[in-house]
Amino acid sequence: MAQIVFAAGAPHAPAIVGLFDKAPDDSRKVVTDTYAAITKELRAAKPDVLIVFANDHLANSRITFYPDFLIGTAPEHSGPHEWFQEWIGCRNYTAKGNPAVAKALFQGMTRRGVKMSVRDENLKFDDNISVPVTMTNLDQTDITLVPVLQNCTVPPFPNAERCFEVGHALRDFIEKDLPAEMRVALFGSGGLSHEPGGVKYYKIDEEFDRRFLELCAAGNHKALLKEITVDRMEEAGTGGTAEVLSWFPVMAAIGERRGRSFGYTGWPSFRCGVGGVIWDLDTKH
Amino acid sequence: MAWEKFNPNLAAHDLVQDMKWDPELRRQFKENEAAVLDRYPLLPEERKAIEERDFRTLYDLGMHPYLGGQLSRFIWGNDAGKGAVEASNKLVASLQGHSRDIPKS
Repeated sequence: MAQIVFAAGAPHAPAIVGLFDKAPDDSRKVVTDTYAAITKELRAAKPDVLIVFANDHLANSRITFYPDFLIGTAPEHSGPHEWFQEWIGCRNYTAKGNPAVAKALFQGMTRRGVKMSVRDENLKFDDNISVPVTMTNLDQTDITLVPVLQNCTVPPFPNAERCFEVGHALRDFIEKDLPAEMRVALFGSGGLSHEPGGVKYYKIDEEFDRRFLELCAAGNHKALLKEITVDRMEEAGTGGTAEVLSWFPVMAAIGERRGRSFGYTGWPSFRCGVGGVIWDLDTKH
Repeated sequence: MAWEKFNPNLAAHDLVQDMKWDPELRRQFKENEAAVLDRYPLLPEERKAIEERDFRTLYDLGMHPYLGGQLSRFIWGNDAGKGAVEASNKLVASLQGHSRDIPKS
């Protein structure tokens, strides 16, 4: 039986790279503390594969033909895609893929009633994968990457309940379908509150963000499903805040675990609330 | 923008995605915007809104805000620092119909 050895969620806002130097000290500290902890604990967990649920911001598919979950099965994952390089301001990278696990995931989720899509070619990555990979220097490790690009922005997209169902299927897949002794890390890349391209581009809903982080860190799935609805996400920032849905499959896969957060910043120029959670997989409450 | 206005059929979505995927098309858009717009079945009011940088009308017609934000970066700037910030500011100013309440940095 394969084992989940690491699970975390964090935002990928490009400004945490591109505007990092201009940010106030306390905001920079949140970014640094969050990603330093993720980097350290991810390596210490010694996973064979990292499955990242990340939002696809309309970079890979037409708006009229848009998959809810798109798995990248390529042997290597390079980015950022050409047009996003200047905007994100991060370095180029090539992370090792894991076609075997990616294809098994597609088959395993299909069998469990979760419709996903696959592409063999290098997907076009923007901040969704590029920020976590470069912030953790994942490409400089032996950890293989399976990207799952999730629709959180083209309505109708899978809501919180559906994302939990996906996470439960994911756990079953990891336990039953992957090779015994395989070590699996999970990461939800997206959020927190923001409204990219909208009238509230510079508005951050700190109340939403703090409550979301609190519930995630408490491992309180019931309250998450009750309070963190798609309607509440849209109220906190249309078209962007729903990216937190990428954390939901991860949380559902690990069960109700407590986690640790590393501070929060709502600096407006990041144009996104920033704070992350690493879940403690050794204890259950 | 409210999702009830969202219209996935707008040709502006394809225009933005094509430009994102094709540097040559971006170059042509900078050089001769009208010639690029001619190739897309844009509604007359959709085309007028693009030409006038009127994002409020584009969103009212049903444009997806992510792609609207990217259109603003094709027009005003895409780099991680100054250019993209200027694009965001001008986009928000267009949506609000004025330039108040927009941070300088």
